[in-house]
Amino acid sequence: MSPSVEFLHVSKRYRVGQWLPSLREALASRGARDPSQYHWAVKDVSFSLEPGEALGIIGPNGAGKTTILKLLSRVTYPTQGEIQIHGRLSALIELGAGFHPDLTGRENIYLNGTILGMKRAEIRRRFDQIVEFAGIGHYLDTPVKRYSSGMYARLGFAIAAHMDPDVLLVDEVLAVGDYAFQQKCHAHMDRLRSQGTTLIFVSHNMEAVRRVCDKVLVMYRGEKIFEGSAAEGVIAYSDALREAARNRSVEVPEEGGLAERIMTFDAEIVRVELLDETGQPTTVLQAGQRAIVRVHVVFHRDVSSPIFSLIVRTVDGRTVYDTTTKWQGIETPHFRAGERCTAVFELDICLLDGEYQLGVDTVATDFSHYYDRLERAMNFYVEGARGAQGLADLRARFSVNRIMSSEEIP
Amino acid sequence: MNVSRFLGYQYGDLLLAWIARTIRARYKQSLLGGLWAVIQPATAAIIFSLIFTYFVPIDTEGIPYLLFSYTAMVPWTLLTASITDMVDSLVINMNLISKIYFPREVLPIAAMLARLLDFGIAFLVLTILLLFFQIPMDPFLLFLLPMVVVIQLMLVLGVGLIGAALNVFYRDIRHVVGLGLQIWLYASPVIYPVGRVPESLRTFYFLNPMAGIIESYRDILLHQRMPGAYLLASMAIAVAIMALGYVLFKRLELQFADVV
Repeated sequence: MSPSVEFLHVSKRYRVGQWLPSLREALASRGARDPSQYHWAVKDVSFSLEPGEALGIIGPNGAGKTTILKLLSRVTYPTQGEIQIHGRLSALIELGAGFHPDLTGRENIYLNGTILGMKRAEIRRRFDQIVEFAGIGHYLDTPVKRYSSGMYARLGFAIAAHMDPDVLLVDEVLAVGDYAFQQKCHAHMDRLRSQGTTLIFVSHNMEAVRRVCDKVLVMYRGEKIFEGSAAEGVIAYSDALREAARNRSVEVPEEGGLAERIMTFDAEIVRVELLDETGQPTTVLQAGQRAIVRVHVVFHRDVSSPIFSLIVRTVDGRTVYDTTTKWQGIETPHFRAGERCTAVFELDICLLDGEYQLGVDTVATDFSHYYDRLERAMNFYVEGARGAQGLADLRARFSVNRIMSSEEIP
Repeated sequence: MNVSRFLGYQYGDLLLAWIARTIRARYKQSLLGGLWAVIQPATAAIIFSLIFTYFVPIDTEGIPYLLFSYTAMVPWTLLTASITDMVDSLVINMNLISKIYFPREVLPIAAMLARLLDFGIAFLVLTILLLFFQIPMDPFLLFLLPMVVVIQLMLVLGVGLIGAALNVFYRDIRHVVGLGLQIWLYASPVIYPVGRVPESLRTFYFLNPMAGIIESYRDILLHQRMPGAYLLASMAIAVAIMALGYVLFKRLELQFADVV
């Protein structure tokens, strides 16, 4: 099968600052200019997708994710490289961007649908489905300026999603609407994929990316730093952020720091040890025994009551166990710059046989951002479990009792 | 619908939807609505009639001055209104351009075509005036009229596309265009007859494509005579400007979304 999306050595350069280009420069769409006045939002990125594949693009703000979506949707054009898309593309990027506030829901369905590239006849055919999906039946002939923001977004999603696209771009928009609507959106995306729609999904939500995507592209400062499985991609992303933190090139955000996995390195995790019951370092644990995780931390700045946390995942990234000192009700002291500490977690390995991934991190006391985070500090193996399959050992105890025919079944 | 299928243009339905949206938005919350399409050219024609009938009498080959100037003012208003709307059409929809892909020329072309409704209304009043002043009509020549309108639209399209695209980069363009349209009015035979232009300058004068176009409207509607070679010259220039405008627009279009 020929690829559905091809992105070949694509680069995109933007102008920095506000100055006006001369007329001649504006007309020369390509060519050499003063490099200091430009900034590469995307640098030599390539990937290719087969029909029906789902690609997740992850990376911090400013990594070039949105630029890639804009390039794919032809809103903007590459400075270098080539993009090929086979089939019809639909973008769930700015829901309802083409709505006119004074026009009714009905009029906007037609207007927005044609902006997205549908024919009038096509919209008419899907009209009832769109209205039904958006759940705006009663307000169909009300101007959209009187819609709630939820209705607005639902209608926008419904129109874009009913285009029967061959390639669908999705950018975080699923954060809108209530839980039920989000479920509906996910179900709709799954249905499109099973029909062979290629999906490109940009998100900060690692769980959603892991769930939806076959493969992941990790972007960092305009460059592709990783392409591969979702679970490995999340680790590559975390490592890239850690590297940036180490180089002290991080701005602490006002909010959303945790979601973007920003690290500040006020505290640094220098070593993580996994010990068995007898205190010996190991990577192989016996099912049902105790284990100790020791996290060695150095403080580069004064930090009060940091939170330490520990996460055990399967190798494909599903969380098995996630705990923090805060949730356990443990108060940690104030630390001064230059001090060191160890955080010790004692665990009962109630796991069945298999390979697991251990992650540790330390977080500001208000959960606003990470100090340091090791998405995968190490992998370990569990062996020796008997009599069960799966992940967790729930310690089943059996008894089988014959029922006599004269007894009543309870 | 049928029109778009006929044009074979994938975004034909969008063009129609956008024209409808533009017209609806224009007359929403407006008391006089479509009447403005007449008030605009009629006011100008009446003012110039007062000046050129009473203060500075001017020879208009026996045609009442009001009719003489209104005949030119109707196509002239189409020109200025559509070019002005076209120049703004991209800038006022930048939020759309920076977010969704669709062929960008849809916006200025829709802005132009939406003004055809006003032109139609104003032309209806012109027809009434022609009947009132008992100007005879030549049915054969009337077939030429759509051709003149098409030539004018090609010219408007070219100028409007250039103005719209440049206005995205430099907002000065909107003022330049406004000023240019004022100067253009006096360089065209709208309020005076071509006969007042010195013979020696005529060829040069007709390099302005609007001169030939307006003169042709008058030839057909007021004098029942075949337009002269100046209409062909206007057509050639209009086609050239349209081609230039389209190429320039397509070239600059690639950067529209980056200039926010």
